[in-house]
Amino acid sequence: MVGTIKDQDVALSERVNNLVRRARLAAAVFTQYSQEQVDAIVRAMTIAAIDAAQKLALAAHEETRMGLVEDKMLKNLVASEFHYHQIKDKRTVGIIKEFPEDNMVEVAEPVGVILALAPVTNPTSTVIFKSMAAAKTRNSIIFSPHLMAADSSNMTAKILYEAALAAGAPKDFITWVEKSPRLRRETELMMVHPEVDLIFATGGTQMVKAAYSSGKPAIGVGSGNTPVYVHKTAQIASAAMDIIISKTFDNGTECPSEQTLIIDSAIAEPLLEQFKKLGCYVCNLEEVEKVADVAIDPRKGGMNYKLVGQPADTIAAQAGLKVPKGTKVLLCPLQGNLRSHRLAVEKLMPVLGFVTVDSEQEGINRALDINYAGGTGHTAGIFADDDGVIERFSDAINAGRVIVNCPTSIGGLGGVYNNLNTTLVFGCGTGGGNITTDNVGIKNLINYKRVPKRSNFSLTFQTTKNIYINPGSIDNLRNLKTKSAFIVTSASAGRRGHLSAVLERLPGDCRVDVFSGVGVEPDFSTIQKALQQMRQTQPDTVIALGGGSVLDAAKIIRLFYDYPNLRIQEVALNFLDFRHRLAVFPTKMSTQLVAIPTTSGTGSEVTPFAVFKDHETHRKVSLIDECLLPDVAILDANLTKSLPREVTLDTAFDALTHALESLVSTFASDYTDGLALEAMRLIFEALPEVLKNGSSVLWRHKLHNAACLAGMAIGNASVGINHALAHSLGAHYDIAHGRANSVFLLTTLDYNKRIPSKFMSVSSYPLWVADQKYARAAQFLNLVPAQGASNVAVSSNLLSDEQRQAHIKALERAVYDLAEAVGQPKSIAELGIKQEDFAKALPELVRAAFEDMALRTNPRCPLIKEVESLFVHAYPPRQRP
Amino acid sequence: MKEKQTRRLIGELRSSVDEIDKLLASGKADLTVDFSACTFISVEGLEWLEEMLMRAASLQANVSFVNMPPPIYKVFKVAHIDSILQASGSPPPASTGAAAC
Ligand SMILES: [Fe+2]
Repeated sequence: MVGTIKDQDVALSERVNNLVRRARLAAAVFTQYSQEQVDAIVRAMTIAAIDAAQKLALAAHEETRMGLVEDKMLKNLVASEFHYHQIKDKRTVGIIKEFPEDNMVEVAEPVGVILALAPVTNPTSTVIFKSMAAAKTRNSIIFSPHLMAADSSNMTAKILYEAALAAGAPKDFITWVEKSPRLRRETELMMVHPEVDLIFATGGTQMVKAAYSSGKPAIGVGSGNTPVYVHKTAQIASAAMDIIISKTFDNGTECPSEQTLIIDSAIAEPLLEQFKKLGCYVCNLEEVEKVADVAIDPRKGGMNYKLVGQPADTIAAQAGLKVPKGTKVLLCPLQGNLRSHRLAVEKLMPVLGFVTVDSEQEGINRALDINYAGGTGHTAGIFADDDGVIERFSDAINAGRVIVNCPTSIGGLGGVYNNLNTTLVFGCGTGGGNITTDNVGIKNLINYKRVPKRSNFSLTFQTTKNIYINPGSIDNLRNLKTKSAFIVTSASAGRRGHLSAVLERLPGDCRVDVFSGVGVEPDFSTIQKALQQMRQTQPDTVIALGGGSVLDAAKIIRLFYDYPNLRIQEVALNFLDFRHRLAVFPTKMSTQLVAIPTTSGTGSEVTPFAVFKDHETHRKVSLIDECLLPDVAILDANLTKSLPREVTLDTAFDALTHALESLVSTFASDYTDGLALEAMRLIFEALPEVLKNGSSVLWRHKLHNAACLAGMAIGNASVGINHALAHSLGAHYDIAHGRANSVFLLTTLDYNKRIPSKFMSVSSYPLWVADQKYARAAQFLNLVPAQGASNVAVSSNLLSDEQRQAHIKALERAVYDLAEAVGQPKSIAELGIKQEDFAKALPELVRAAFEDMALRTNPRCPLIKEVESLFVHAYPPRQRP
Repeated sequence: MKEKQTRRLIGELRSSVDEIDKLLASGKADLTVDFSACTFISVEGLEWLEEMLMRAASLQANVSFVNMPPPIYKVFKVAHIDSILQASGSPPPASTGAAAC
């Protein structure tokens, strides 16, 4: 005996291996098929299924003794004709979808070998549906029929397979498990077979559970328990007819069919009358108990499987009820606590529960009771002529299909009463333990290969529209179109005579108000003070007169004046990429902003940046957006003549840092490169001259222009790691911005010139070229002898490695020499920061620097450890490179 | 030492190829099958390849597959038949505990 069982096991496992292997070869061969070949195969299968629809319905009914032949035939036609209509033009081979705006396409990959279960309730239509879906998606499919419906299921598979084969399908792409007492065991073995790729389960919860437990990808469905709310606005007569159509469809075997009606009491009586008139029987409470006794299996509390798909007459007879012959549906009032009523479960037979309710709230809540009693995620229905109720119902109910004003069973199949995808597989989402709430179909049988092409960020160039650049250009204020101006400035503007210079030139009819409370590092409270003052005079123009801090403050003041509801926490939020950032800035400003810089440094008059200090956290906060750009910039070098030496130096070194950083930025372009190079050249030339003779308007003018050009460069290419380090150090020790920048310049040049230990992952920066850029700067600044005999400088990317290194060294020396010559600090130690103090502050300095937005455009992606060593490197006094 | 012979498959491979079967049966040659002009393989074609490799193994003849166009090589990959993959020079699938992410 033992030997026999073993032999049987071997034979079984051989059968399984053989089936799966055949399916696998077919799946392999199917990968070569074109869309046209596949479509021809599916068409041939459809024709065969339509031809055989009645024959298969008869076979299914004869074998299972469930349901109605007429309805089974209809289902066969829905699975073939409707299904075909829905999928025939769908692409399932090669590129199946294009997303031109996203520069991406989707390419189909078959899922491979599908193990498909077919239920006893729909043994033929499910097989028609699934085999057509498999063919359309170039998968092979092995059917495991229900033991009680194996003959009709397998007959269906065979008919469709033969039609497909004649149309050129791969041999064995449809196979089936033969009927045998070990069918169930065979299916279980296949579920865990390594060569099965996907389990497509429909059927008893146990099989679906087994599919999900197999460890393989599985498409399963949950069980249903459809509540249908008949709202008082419903069309009573047609609602009654629809419900009867649905509940009697295939004698109630369809799992989306109505299980319990929730009826508004206002229409309960006429609705029940209508049911009676149309041939339904409304049970009394005693009869309800009798029906429950036979319809419900007392051991499990679920439906009695022996009565699934049986006509109402049969059920009534078994329950001992006398009902008129040909009764369509047994309607059972569910009295007492609905949540514990025996009949408040799924009954795949013409037994329909109902309750009446007095309000919409109660209606939806009772529907939820049914919905959450074994049918979560499946199907629900509503009859109403009120979109509000329908929306609130859909919002509350957890169902993959909320069928409106139609029979839920045929409505759920899709395509007959509505435009839902045709299916015989109802996904129930997580509510039913499934991965999808779809009306499952071909789209669930494809592996989608997304092919995104690199999207290059389109670089633009923006700057302030009107820039007046001559010494004396402040005179242009005379022509300024303004009736009411608000001047934002600092106390020193008055002392240096700048304020009066502005006031004298504003048009005579212009009302003027002055806010001179902007200090060295304004915080948000300063901005709020200015706004308060400003709102009293309602100006049309803001004139920013001063250094970088004043200009930045004025930008923020104008922004919040125009848009008082913006939230500073949001607009100042850090971001990785401004195309994806959270903050939404306005696109149009109504108040004019005129920027008159009195230092030659930040270039704020032409940048979309504004920085203020958060005194609480000791941090600089940056706002970045095009809308911050001033409308007018007036660069009058006369206003810089009285600038103290130290401020001149610090601000000039800020501008030099801007030029050096924007040149190598990941956002650099030919436009910003030109500006950065010329800015550098002007600074190297003009700064020493200005320091020799501070009142020389010519050199002041050149320096002023340099700062503005560098501002345009960073306004579009942004800065880099030098600024991140300087922001951190400056905020911690209250060091002027330009001065803080100077001490890192040689450190960051040295850092960025080396092949990055980590590259920047930025789509618009496909190639690391920082070293070439520095070499080009050296060439442009004439720091190295011209290459070659012709005396024409060769392109920096044609330089040998040695030449390039020599060029970069020349640039480093030039920076060192300039700082040395003018007495600008080149190291942190020179700022008077004690070593001990610095060592203690280091972790916090590193943390703040690493958070700085400036890092995002640096050509080398800094590691935290590197940031730390850059600080350490910048501390000791320097030697000439 | 057996002589080396190369045979090129042209067009669709839908059944056995007599010439190759005979060459193998002679037991004289190691065989290289060139797939560069093969445009399609049917299930029957795949079955023949597997069976032919089995015969070759019993005759101790070496058979290798070369110049597979990617769609053909993909058929081999999906069909997942060890002998065919081996003849194609395809390494057996890794059974390492690769991390999912
Ligand atoms: Fe700066």
